[in-house]
Amino acid sequence: MKTAAPNTILARTLIILLMVITLLPFLSMLSAALAPQGSYPNGLQWPADPQWGNFARAFEVAKMDQLLWSSTLIVLGVVPLAVLMATMAGYGLAKLTSNRYKWLYLLFVFGLTLPFEAVITPLYYEVRAIGLLNTRFAIILPLIGLYMPFGVYWMRAHFLNVPHDLTEAAQLDGATRWKEFWLVQVPLARPAIMSLTILLFLWTWNQFLLPVVLVQDPMQRTMAGALGAFQGQWGTDIPLLCAGSLLILTPTVLIFLIFQRQFVAALMQGAVKG
Amino acid sequence: MAGLTLRSVYKNYGEVPVIRGVDLDIAHGEFVVFVGPSGCGKSTLLRMIAGLEDITDGDITIGDRLVNDVEPRDRGVAMVFQSYALYPHMSVYDNVGFGLKLAGTPKAVRDKKIRDAAKVLQMEHLLDRRPAQLSGGQRQRVAIGRAIVRQPDVFLFDEPLSNLDAALRVDMRMELARLHHDLGATMIYVTHDQVEAMTLADKIVVLNGGIIQQVGSPLDLYNRPANLFVAGFIGSPKMNLLAGKVQSIDGALASVSIPGAQAPLMVSAAGLTSGHAVTLGIRPHALAIAPDGQLTGTVLLVEQLGNETVVRLALTDGSEVTAALAGQGDLAPGKSVSLTFAPTDCHVFDENGGNVAL
Repeated sequence: MKTAAPNTILARTLIILLMVITLLPFLSMLSAALAPQGSYPNGLQWPADPQWGNFARAFEVAKMDQLLWSSTLIVLGVVPLAVLMATMAGYGLAKLTSNRYKWLYLLFVFGLTLPFEAVITPLYYEVRAIGLLNTRFAIILPLIGLYMPFGVYWMRAHFLNVPHDLTEAAQLDGATRWKEFWLVQVPLARPAIMSLTILLFLWTWNQFLLPVVLVQDPMQRTMAGALGAFQGQWGTDIPLLCAGSLLILTPTVLIFLIFQRQFVAALMQGAVKG
Repeated sequence: MAGLTLRSVYKNYGEVPVIRGVDLDIAHGEFVVFVGPSGCGKSTLLRMIAGLEDITDGDITIGDRLVNDVEPRDRGVAMVFQSYALYPHMSVYDNVGFGLKLAGTPKAVRDKKIRDAAKVLQMEHLLDRRPAQLSGGQRQRVAIGRAIVRQPDVFLFDEPLSNLDAALRVDMRMELARLHHDLGATMIYVTHDQVEAMTLADKIVVLNGGIIQQVGSPLDLYNRPANLFVAGFIGSPKMNLLAGKVQSIDGALASVSIPGAQAPLMVSAAGLTSGHAVTLGIRPHALAIAPDGQLTGTVLLVEQLGNETVVRLALTDGSEVTAALAGQGDLAPGKSVSLTFAPTDCHVFDENGGNVAL
């Protein structure tokens, strides 16, 4: 029989430890979510009589179906447009910009350094001035803008790595810039576009700050944003709160499981390209 | 199909001149090879013809049309890149047909042209594959196929064989020659490999430092190199170049003294003046072993190639000479050897490097 090297054993032990640490809060939430209504669960303690009905009740009181729909609308409003614009801008900055205008790219890099929290107050007044406060557009439009620095940076990094010969070959084959972009560059950028789409999806879905500040009605928010309202309303009913939180988490986890491979690739891509 | 002319063509990258006044006429159907060392501007010149580089000054005409400001796609040229530049996400079929598709060629016509090109290049069985599933030679075929379906006026090749292994290179070289013969199209080919240049070209253009050194047929360049650069660049092994001084002129022959030989060497006197410094150029293949040869030296290195033996020897002053001798000699390092050559086989270059006989 093969015996594992001490290093391997140590590595595995550490990984298992890390897994336990990561999963413990979720397990604790699950056990709490299954506790009888109105009780105060005591940490990690499997209830004698698991109340699976708590989930159904949480689904109902949080109007989870409406929240799902609202989140979906916001994601559909943000992600396709943000990805399209980032792809076009990334291509432009990587392939069409002469040396004189290279500094334009630095504007986007500067944007990367700005935290959402820093712009939230001016954003509030802006959105109010436009008259979009308390609508989903108050989340969609600012998010598209706020994702641009990262999206453009990401796509530009991809396009920089596409050999210039392909552009020239397409030009000689008779392609205009526009056709070259759609027929050659975009299909080649598919992995980068996929990764960006997944990342923007997750960030939008989990967006908390913008919805809470800019939209009053929880039903117009993202699921994560609605969690804030849910907590305020049901903060004393711990089992219900835990069940609701777990339900809100579920779509993200499902998406992660479905696109696991692309998701890891996305993170790796970032790691290599820096 | 069309010829091509370049008139006083210049190219600067900022302050740095890369092409410095090129004049060239290429006839319809000619196979022209641009050859020269790395950085001599040959690829830049090709890319200027393709329209991928702007020209700083001068005129480029394809057929009867001035194309200085014409987009690459409207110049009627097709190019085969060193990297092949195939579209990785398309099948071979789509790669070859991409240009036709963009031109709006009807599907049936397109299909026929693609299959015809595939047949010419013997790659019909590859049409459904992706570039990643092809070997280097197959990719090169696809790249050539992509060029020929468009039936361009001028084909441009940018070192197309340099990524292939030696055996495949020889095969592809022959195929290119056949293709040129079959299509009868104007082809411009860039390479730094002089064997490719010699075997493929109707006309070779030797470039150095952005200036044309000589234009001529392969044998012209081999037999009558215009200057020291061309003499040293064309021919393998390289021509031996020996510095010397004209001692005297006696009718058709001149005697030239060189530091490495005891007695003066006799060469053709055409264009020589007594007392001038010259450089003698003798091809390794022009040298033969003779008991009382003009050049005597000690063998340093022997390379047996089977059909010939390449010998490197040191003359008395330490300067080195290479000889390519027919057959398989029994030479060994350290042995003393005497070599001879015919006076007519010796090229003489003046102080400025120009061939005095031209």
